[in-house]
Amino acid sequence: MAEFRNRTPVTALVVGLVAFAVVAMVVDRRSAPGDPERELSGWTGAILDIAAPVQKMIAFPFDLTRNAWRHYVSLLDASDTNEGLRARLAAVEEENLQLREALIASGRLARIAETRADFEVPMLPSELVGVDPSPWFRSVLIDRGREQGVRSGMPIISEHGLVGLVTATSTRAAKAMLVLDRQSAIDGIIQRSRSQGIVRGRGTSELDFEFVIRGSDVRIGDVVITSGLGGVYPKGIRIAEVVSVSDPGSALMQTAKLVPAVDFGRLEQVFVMLRRGPTMEVIYASELEGDLSTMATERFGP
Amino acid sequence: MKRVFALLAIGALAPMIQGAVGTFVPLHYCPDLGLLLVVGLGLCWRSTAGGVALSAALGLIADLLSGSLFGQHMLLRIFAFGAARACSQQLNLRGVIPRATFVVALTVVTALGTGALTAFFGAGHGVDGEMLRELIPHALINGAFAPLCVWLVERISNWLSEVDAGHQLLQLRPRNRLT
Repeated sequence: MAEFRNRTPVTALVVGLVAFAVVAMVVDRRSAPGDPERELSGWTGAILDIAAPVQKMIAFPFDLTRNAWRHYVSLLDASDTNEGLRARLAAVEEENLQLREALIASGRLARIAETRADFEVPMLPSELVGVDPSPWFRSVLIDRGREQGVRSGMPIISEHGLVGLVTATSTRAAKAMLVLDRQSAIDGIIQRSRSQGIVRGRGTSELDFEFVIRGSDVRIGDVVITSGLGGVYPKGIRIAEVVSVSDPGSALMQTAKLVPAVDFGRLEQVFVMLRRGPTMEVIYASELEGDLSTMATERFGP
Repeated sequence: MKRVFALLAIGALAPMIQGAVGTFVPLHYCPDLGLLLVVGLGLCWRSTAGGVALSAALGLIADLLSGSLFGQHMLLRIFAFGAARACSQQLNLRGVIPRATFVVALTVVTALGTGALTAFFGAGHGVDGEMLRELIPHALINGAFAPLCVWLVERISNWLSEVDAGHQLLQLRPRNRLT
């Protein structure tokens, strides 16, 4: 009896904590990026705010060594690389000139210039300060937060292509899920054939492209870009390149393996697109509507 | 109380260190310091209720820094503490090899638990071949680091409990030999 009495508070504590964890997981699953619960404040936000400078400090000596080595190695073949790049630049300039001529001839250049302002999205440069402490998830911590205008649901890109999506923010830091994460799924299209499919993270350095076989044309070397459907990512951001296409057999769906456009092993600087996709804007608008209706109720009664 | 705050601070620092080191080394080749700390608590912490609460808090901090679902690490840390406490009462986990073996097994179980919880509550794949391939080196490295980490947790815990209690160790010095 005495043993039972001694164990009851421990059992109650364990049951309570387990119940809390399960409820927290369900709530977290249901909240989409862009929901107010994703904006961390109080002690939860403070931990993220502390983590960013601490991780930067820990990584500093390693960064210094790595950069010194990288610069030394890059100097060794700088001359050859320079020659190659000069030749490539000349070829690209020539191609660019020809494309401009063609656009002017078709009268589309002026229309593109007019509509360009609508597509321009402000970009916030940000530094990657740490990665996920668990090897089973692929997320990163960046050193920009709500103070700089970052909100959950905003896409993150690098100069090479799509990096991921902001999933939680604090005052001076933000957490972002990479496209490599097992929970990541992006609507993509093959740039050449416009075949549509889903780009899924596998938790490794590769991605899967799942598409319906009927009417799809997917080949090795094809570039996959965001389709803009789903509303999270803007259309046309480079995601990855097809490296192999599996044998479909009798299945309706086929899978191609992709190599991401971004080298995540060397990722240091990223850009946060300071505008959420259309779906994010709808969620944001509904939050705003909720706020407005609350204000109206407070002022004029139900 | 100092003991709780000190271990909480170490527990908060552990995922931050791992996150920073992970930018240079693949994380499955790094020991899971958070898990090892909780195993250490399970083996040496006197109060079960306090240990459970501390493990849950350490799990919550890991959840905040990780891309996992909120509560996922918390649940697994409570499980890890419970497993360490139960096994230490039933088995002899005093030596280096028993501790390392136990941590290898626990790492496998918690990783499978992570996969299962992500598949059930989240939107991702469950456990797949890729995960199992990464799990083997990760479990072995955790096992290799386990005896050292558990020993450190024990030392810190014992030292801080003396500080908490305000005890002064009685120091016995040999008398000067009479000539």
